Amino acid sequence: MSWRRIRTVVRRHLSVMWRSPHRFFDVSVWPLLDVLLWGTLGTFVASESASSKASVAYLLAGICMFHVLYQMQIALATGFMEESTWSRNLLNVLTTPVTEAEYLAGIGLLGLLKLCVSLLTLVVSAFVFFRFNLGSVGWGLVPVSAVLLVCGWAIGFFVIGLILRYGASAEVLAWGIQFVLMALSGVFNPITSIPAALRPIARVLPTTHAFAALRAVVAGDPLPWHDIVVGSIGAFVCAGAAAFYALRMLKVFRERGFITRFS
Amino acid sequence: MLLTPRLVFGPDALSARRGDGRYRVERLASSNQTDLFVGPLLDARGLVKAFKGVRAVDAIDLRVNTGERVGLLGPNGAGKTTTLLMLLGAITPDAGEIEILGHRLPQQRSAAMGIVGFAAGYLRLPDRLKVSEALRLFAGLYGVDDERAAVADGLERFGIAHLGDKLCEQLSSGQRTLVGITKAILHRPRLLVLDEPTASLDPDVALRVRDRLLDVCAAEGTTLLVTSHDMREVTMLCDRVVFLAGGRIVADGAPTDIAESFGHDDLEGVFLQLAGRALSEADEL
Repeated sequence: MSWRRIRTVVRRHLSVMWRSPHRFFDVSVWPLLDVLLWGTLGTFVASESASSKASVAYLLAGICMFHVLYQMQIALATGFMEESTWSRNLLNVLTTPVTEAEYLAGIGLLGLLKLCVSLLTLVVSAFVFFRFNLGSVGWGLVPVSAVLLVCGWAIGFFVIGLILRYGASAEVLAWGIQFVLMALSGVFNPITSIPAALRPIARVLPTTHAFAALRAVVAGDPLPWHDIVVGSIGAFVCAGAAAFYALRMLKVFRERGFITRFS
Repeated sequence: MLLTPRLVFGPDALSARRGDGRYRVERLASSNQTDLFVGPLLDARGLVKAFKGVRAVDAIDLRVNTGERVGLLGPNGAGKTTTLLMLLGAITPDAGEIEILGHRLPQQRSAAMGIVGFAAGYLRLPDRLKVSEALRLFAGLYGVDDERAAVADGLERFGIAHLGDKLCEQLSSGQRTLVGITKAILHRPRLLVLDEPTASLDPDVALRVRDRLLDVCAAEGTTLLVTSHDMREVTMLCDRVVFLAGGRIVADGAPTDIAESFGHDDLEGVFLQLAGRALSEADEL
């Protein structure tokens, strides 16, 4: 692994972001709008029922942690799409000494940087508009974030594999797949409130366990380590499977000469 | 300065021992030292590639020695680009082996690509970057020590210093080709692979590019492997020509020798003969 090549990949994507202000929407405008939307909904629900006073905290903590998943996934997927389907620069990159691992490390590092900026936006706007302090939830956020981070990598690897195999037509999943998880993982609510037919799917998702642990710590309960352990195992299994899938698709990509789709 | 000869051992020497007797000691003028590399710079053996049952490349053996300037020619569908993409590790051959300076593909792709430069007339560049930024990016990926100096030198060399502050997406196809070639030589590669490098250039610019490429090859001992449909260009650039037809090598030698062996005055006649044959074979199918 060459640290210099990893830094060069990060620098490449930062330069593109700098020159394309709309790319900052992911880390500034959308997080701000999410806080406004879910914070407003929580405030309304709380005003309607005295027993729902905590809804603002559940909704805002949920959306803040959902962005951990979203930012990692979207950074990996759009980092790869920038090179492949948007700039059609993939052949140039493939014919340099940069390795697959270095490239993924570069866009993964970029994802962490984007995550820091978007979390700052979320935390500040939640406090300014709704007096919600995410830090007050405590250190329990750290293992929850870690599980969601790994889940974000897993989805990112999976989307990269799909783009390698199916080309630009797989792009739609890059934007939509996390909303499937949002609906099934109980980001804001226990999974007992989702339709019964979908609950078996929800139970096996590592993200469900991460958000269950989040709700517990937001309620002031001790961190449910069982959920964290199950979520962690599930997240690493998914990330391993997704990485294997992406590498397998890269092999197919090279065998079938799909590079011509991107040049 | 007194130049000290240095023998290359390790995988390079091993590859030489596996050879067929055609290998010879090479003098690499690109190094501060006079490197003595035993073996061909590029050694591809038995390359086969089929797409949906159709053989695009059919058992090609291609050895290129250091300092050679080789033209890969053939009509459309002859397998030129597929061969190049396999040599660059972008397409995996169904069968065969590829070594570049002893680095075997795909296992040692990263090391091999460090000594190869590639440009193609059809290749795009990172759209939202300025030309100088894009070139510095590639210089970084190739591990060039002084990125800024290498980029300035490269742009100057091809007379496009004025394009440094332009966005890549604003370049004409000809300008993009020139920037692409500049990118390919930033790290002073030992092997320069060019696919249709002057296809979109005006004749005067194409002439300038050929002159610069010859300068680069002469000054740095760069080995050249180029595909083109312009036979005049190939005659000017290359000291050896490999003709492909139907995925096979049908002729390999000096341009004048090949023209003579096919009973033509120049390569144009050979090309037309092979293209006509390929068309009639396609009609029969």
